[in-house]
Amino acid sequence: MSQPHHIWLQDCATGRSVEALLYERIDPVYAERVDDAWLIHLATAEAQAKARGEKFEAPEHAHWRWHEKVLRSSHLLSCPTLAVECEGQPQGLMLLKTDGHFARHSEQSEKPLVFITYLSTAPWNMPSVAPRPRFRGVGTNLLRAAVEVSLDLEFKGRVGLHSLPNAEPFYERQGMQCLGQDSMLNYYEFSPENAAAFIR
Amino acid sequence: MSPKKTMTLNLTEAEMEALEVMCVEKDMSKTALMRQALRLYQLVNARLKAGEKLFLENEKEKEKKELVVL
Repeated sequence: MSQPHHIWLQDCATGRSVEALLYERIDPVYAERVDDAWLIHLATAEAQAKARGEKFEAPEHAHWRWHEKVLRSSHLLSCPTLAVECEGQPQGLMLLKTDGHFARHSEQSEKPLVFITYLSTAPWNMPSVAPRPRFRGVGTNLLRAAVEVSLDLEFKGRVGLHSLPNAEPFYERQGMQCLGQDSMLNYYEFSPENAAAFIR
Repeated sequence: MSPKKTMTLNLTEAEMEALEVMCVEKDMSKTALMRQALRLYQLVNARLKAGEKLFLENEKEKEKKELVVL
């Protein structure tokens, strides 16, 4: 794991900013720990909802297994994996690809971009799973990190991704533009201008 | 982003010219282009080591040739 950067999240209970760590390269052992923590939380949340007689809706990405994803790619420079940690717990993970993906925006056509293969916040931060989410800002910080990777590689902030349906409003709020649909998922992209406005 | 280390790279005139042409084409600095080349080379190398092969395909000519990489 790399030396972490310091970032800020919002504690939803107090409204205060809390310091968190952003790791640039995580290893399969860490990813396995993430899977364990998040799966246990989801199972507990489901059992509690059932006990209350409420319907439990698992997140769209509940089937993702980070250990497998990180194991396949953690040794590759072209597949950075980033993690946000706060209070000793993994709050969000993101897997990027820095080659083989090109912009679709008409003015940026065919120019390289950073592609977000997977991005997820911990289930306890998701309003759809947790009645009282713990931290806000995990997704925004990870998206900002993707833009910073893009700038570092001289891709001018260009970032692309396929969004799960429930996450679409989030990406739209950040200024990403929907540029059509591929295999059931909408494709979103940051142009250099929108990326610059987002990280400002 | 992670701190970077600096190195000197010795290139022939032809290699430097090729690098400069690609920098213009890709709209990148020499450093960014060399870093991108390293990432790509590492990826290709990892897949070759895993037993995969790299091919170049010409759809028009219906031709497929294996690309042999160092």
